Amino acid sequence: MRSRDGNHSFTRRLCTVIFLFSSLALNAGEYLVSYKYIVKNATLYNESLDISKSMTECEGTPSQTIIFPSPHEDNFKKLVEQHKEEFIEYIHKLGIDIQNQDTTTNNQMNSTTVLTLKTTCFKVDFNDTFVKISHLKQPQN
Amino acid sequence: MKYSLVLISLLCMTAFGAEEKKAMPEVTHIPPVKKAETITVPNNTTINVSYEKPHKAVKSGTCPAKMHTMAEEKPEVLTTDKPLLISVVGQGVAPVNTTSPAQAYALAKRAATADAYRLIAEKVKGVNVDGQDLIKNMMVKRSTVRTSVQAMVRNANIVETTFKDGLCEVEMEITLSHADFAQ
Repeated sequence: MRSRDGNHSFTRRLCTVIFLFSSLALNAGEYLVSYKYIVKNATLYNESLDISKSMTECEGTPSQTIIFPSPHEDNFKKLVEQHKEEFIEYIHKLGIDIQNQDTTTNNQMNSTTVLTLKTTCFKVDFNDTFVKISHLKQPQN
Repeated sequence: MKYSLVLISLLCMTAFGAEEKKAMPEVTHIPPVKKAETITVPNNTTINVSYEKPHKAVKSGTCPAKMHTMAEEKPEVLTTDKPLLISVVGQGVAPVNTTSPAQAYALAKRAATADAYRLIAEKVKGVNVDGQDLIKNMMVKRSTVRTSVQAMVRNANIVETTFKDGLCEVEMEITLSHADFAQ
């Protein structure tokens, strides 16, 4: 309904809604994550988790979401360091590539297993009290 | 002049006649050759066919029936209405030089998880096996067996983790449904 002094009430409401939305999602970004670890003879040999901010916009729709309680955190790398075990379990569920080679020579066995998460884009929303991480699922051709 | 023209025409006639005569024996000669060829070639082909035909007959006659019976005998592993649960236990040990028991546990768990993933991949997709034996002077010098697996595993769940005497065991489950493989 239009007020007597113009359309001020509507503008005020609109501004409030925009402010609320902006405060809810303080900061959002897209990050590229790749993960790889090598197990040799049942012992962890090498592990690498690489995180970098995406320089171009990622394509895809947010599919699997995980929420970490983390007040006032806006650094994704620090957040992952804090919740490393949960995050690794989460990226395991997204789908991990397994390459295993066992070689038995004269009854002596050597085993090498390489687990790889190919470089995947994640959308990260930093909020006041929590951080929402969503896997951006690429459209299938 | 007229006589000369008549003479030339006569000569031409005789020449054509001679050519026809020459051509005729060739034509008569060719058929036997062709016949010979046609005789030899069909002989070969018939031999081949006679060898092939029984194979074809066997293939067309018995194999599909055998395959049909095999298909009848084999029950479907993954049915549309019933999901399949696969459970494995992976094992891993901590490295020797760890700074704390917690680190040892974390590293051993990682190794056990990888082992569990490998076991799931082996169960679902199968294993490639390759063997090589080197024999010299009637003795086995080197015997090598290589097994490999490559797969992509998604939505596997860790059910239970135990850590005892430096050995970590991870029980992992995956549920396979028909819809996961439907294209």
